[in-house]
Formats: sequence, C-alpha cells, structure tokens
Amino acid sequence: MTTTTEPRADRTARPQLDPAERARLESAFRVPRARFLIGLPVAFLLLLWSFNGAQFNFVKLGEGAVNMGEFLSRLFPPDFSKIGTILALLLETFQMAVVGTVLGAVLSLIVAFGATSTLAPRWLYYPTRWIMNIIRSVPDLVFALMFVSAVGLGPFAGILAMTLGSIGSIGKIFAEAMEQVDRGPVVAMEAVGASKRQVIQYGILPQAAPLLTSYTLLLFEGNVRGATILGLVGAGGIGLELTTAMRMYDYGHLSAIIICIIVLVTLIDQGSALIRRRIT
Amino acid sequence: MRTPTAEVRQALPLVTVRGLKVAYDATTVLDGVDLDLFPGEMVALLGASGSGKSTLMRSLTGFAPVSAGSVRVAGHDVTNLARGELRTLRSEVGQVFQQFNLIPRLSVLTNVLTGALHGAGPINLAGGFSSAHRRRALELLDRVGIAHKASAPARSLSGGQQQRVAIARALMQRPAVILADEPVASLDPKLADSVLGLLREIATQDGIPVLVSLHVLPLALAHSDRIVGLRHGEMLVSGVTSQLDAAALEPLYDDEEHRDDDHH
Repeated sequence: MTTTTEPRADRTARPQLDPAERARLESAFRVPRARFLIGLPVAFLLLLWSFNGAQFNFVKLGEGAVNMGEFLSRLFPPDFSKIGTILALLLETFQMAVVGTVLGAVLSLIVAFGATSTLAPRWLYYPTRWIMNIIRSVPDLVFALMFVSAVGLGPFAGILAMTLGSIGSIGKIFAEAMEQVDRGPVVAMEAVGASKRQVIQYGILPQAAPLLTSYTLLLFEGNVRGATILGLVGAGGIGLELTTAMRMYDYGHLSAIIICIIVLVTLIDQGSALIRRRIT
Repeated sequence: MRTPTAEVRQALPLVTVRGLKVAYDATTVLDGVDLDLFPGEMVALLGASGSGKSTLMRSLTGFAPVSAGSVRVAGHDVTNLARGELRTLRSEVGQVFQQFNLIPRLSVLTNVLTGALHGAGPINLAGGFSSAHRRRALELLDRVGIAHKASAPARSLSGGQQQRVAIARALMQRPAVILADEPVASLDPKLADSVLGLLREIATQDGIPVLVSLHVLPLALAHSDRIVGLRHGEMLVSGVTSQLDAAALEPLYDDEEHRDDDHH
C-alpha cells in the first residue's frame, strides 16, 4: 500500500505506449523472438545427442519385440500355487510402507520447518536445504545397502532406507507447501500476539494440511512400489521373492507375484485418490 | 484544533503519537505525524493509496520501524520493546484487516478463540481452549450476530460475516485499542455500513477507541467522531468530523488520478 511519497509536480502527460511496441502487439502474426528461434534447434540437437548417447535404437527395438512377446507369453498362465507366501510377503511390504511413511512423514515435517524460508532463520535454512538435496541425490537402493550392512537383512533395513529417503523428497515438498500458505492468517496470528509455535499451529499448519496429507499419501504409494525394489538388496518385502523367481525361470510364480503387486498398488492408488479428493 | 467531546477529553489517551517519522532506506513514508486516541471514540484515517495510512497503523503495533518521534500505545513505549513485550502489546491491540485474515479451514469459533492465544500456554497444543474462553467466544459471536455459524468453517461465510468474525476475534483479545485497516474495502456499500456501525457501537459501548482507515469519504463522514487525513505521509487534516467542511478534505485526494503511477 504505502510505497513512495516522492513529489509529483512534473506530471503533465500520461505515459504513452511506444508505437513500435503497439504495432507488434497489434499484428496477428508475430515473428518469433530470437531466443525462440535459437532455442528450438538447440533443444532438438540436445535431444538427438541424448538419443545417441543412450544408444536408443529403433531397429533393435523392432527386432527385440519378438523376444519381448516370448517373455510375456511365458508369464502365462500365472501359477498361484504359492499364493500363501506371496500374500505374506505382500503384507510385509505393505507394513514396511506404512511404517516407513509414518516415520518419514513425521521426520520430514520436523526437518521441513527448518527448510521453510518464511519460518527458519538463514543459518538453519541453507544447511537444511543442502542436506535435503544430498539425501535426494542418493538412490534409495544405496541407503538400503547401507542399512542392510548396519542392521542386517530384513524389512527393518528397508524401513530405515525409506524413512531417510523420504526426508529428501517429501521434506522439500512439505517445506514448499508451508511457504505457499496465504500470509493473511499468519499476519493475523502475529497481530494477536501469538508465539512462533502458535503462529505455526494456527496460521500455517491448518492451511497446509490438505497438501501435507496429499503428499503423504503420494509418499505412501511410492513407498509401496519402492518396497518391492528394496527387496532386491535383501531389505525385506516381496522384492527378494520376485528376483528369485526371475533367476530360477519360475515364470508362473513370477507372474503371480506381479499380478498381486499390481492389484495392491492399484487398490492403494484408488484409496488414496479417494481420500485426496475428500480433503482438497 | 482537536476538540473531542467533553467526556472523552477528560480521559487519558490510550494512543499517543508525537512527531512520528517512518522511513525505509531513502523513502520517507510518514513524517511528523501526531495522533491521540481517546476512550470511546472512532477516528477515521483518510488518505489516498500510498499516503501512509497502513504504515501509521503498523507502526502502532511495532510492525513498521519508527525512525523518529514517540509512539505510546496502552501504556507501552512501542519504539523500545523487547520481543516478548512486543507480543504483549500486540495482544492488547485488536486488529481488523481488509481481507479478514481468518484461518479458512478452521471453525468460526476456533477463529474467535485464537484472539485469546497470547499467554494461553502449552495446554492448547491440542486445541484445548478452556470452557471460560469458549463461553466468552460464543457470547462475542452472539454480539456480532454470527453465533449460529459457530461450527462452520470460516471460509464458508460471506465477506461481511467473515469481517464480523474477525471483529469478534479482536474483541476476544480484550483490546485496549482496535485498529481496522481498510476493513470494508472488500465489502459492498450496505455491508460496509453495517460493519462500520458495529465498530462504532463497540467504541461507544465498550469505550475502546477504534482507528479505522478508509478511502471513501462519505463512509468516514457517516461513521467517525474525528477524522485524520494523511497526504504523502504528512498530516493534512485533523478535526472533529461534524465540524469539518468538505473543502478541507478535498486536497487529500487531489492527485488521485496519478495514483497508479506511484507504484512503479
């Protein structure tokens, strides 16, 4: 509202729009700007260069399609004879995801306060963001290996990996959700003489709550999928059974596992979508 | 010359501002502003956008840096307060905002209760305000006429209703002074009248001085005991509303047309 109070005696004419700019704005066809004309070929070259580097080959893909079809055909019929084992492991995967998500969300929220520019002092904000960036750039599988060597094989290592990994991913998103709340209620809470904790409790968290919940559900979905991968390095869940089945060419069993995973992930996605629609 | 009504004059002012100067870097926003607020009066603050109305309000609660002069509010020397004392001061000054600033997803009742947050202690970590507080909040909602919406989320209310809730929240603070910064700028004329009427009723019945910034002259003439006019950060007009003639107020807005240019 209150910005300047400089004297304004020499104001005679209204400022005019530059005629050249007016002509440019009026014309229906516009010559694209230089940055666009240069940028487009550059982006295209970057894409070609990357195709080359990644050894992307359409011919190979076409030839391989036959093998892929053969691989898929071997998955049928699925063999549900070991459904008991599958369900038990799937349950373990689910439980790992639940614990990993709750721990991850709680820790992420705590860390996120330090990474919220509107709340944290500079000396806390930058280190917290750096730590988050470092955590985010390390693959979860590496954390899993680290924790497997620390606490041994099993789901506990997987849970720890998930929890640590989520601080990097969800912590940053939490912080951004809290930064983006409407300032009005925050100002009002400061105006009634509320303490910092009270400002967070009343001015920020109620406003950020739908986003925080939504992201936590996304984290949960991601963790269920992630937990199947963590099994590869022996960090619990259904992943180990999945790789074993692949290595032993037990395709019926493999396809049964995959079908069960698809069903679980779909159910969870649907469920969380339902919850998210309710809260936002 | 200021001549508040007789009974008001005998009381001591709750707000005393002398020679107030507020400057950010090279920009002087307020210069040489004097202001008194006596119990029971409603004072309208007039001026074009950028004239310093908001800054004057903000300086009363320590939200704007005072470069020179003295500001005393409810017995506090605002220019010289530690952080804890500043919170105490703010808890004694009720504030009403243009955009209401309610917490949209929380209930109307909870929004009113937040007025009692200062010194509420850690008990309300779980949102547990005492029954006494709740009873008082409901009484205040009765008073502003929104009690029937007590459990509705604040965002479900209309603008006029939200502003009434915001006024109840300010009253919940048991304020010594109420500051209302453009409280009706987002409301239609009829609602504006009723909200200003409510504020004036609070001023007269509770003896709480209300400083209200407005940019619509007729509203100020209809709803204030005194008018203070700012122009380019300086006090141009100060007087009893009924004794001011319209010509004296005209210069406040004489360059209204150039208003948009000021912000670039």
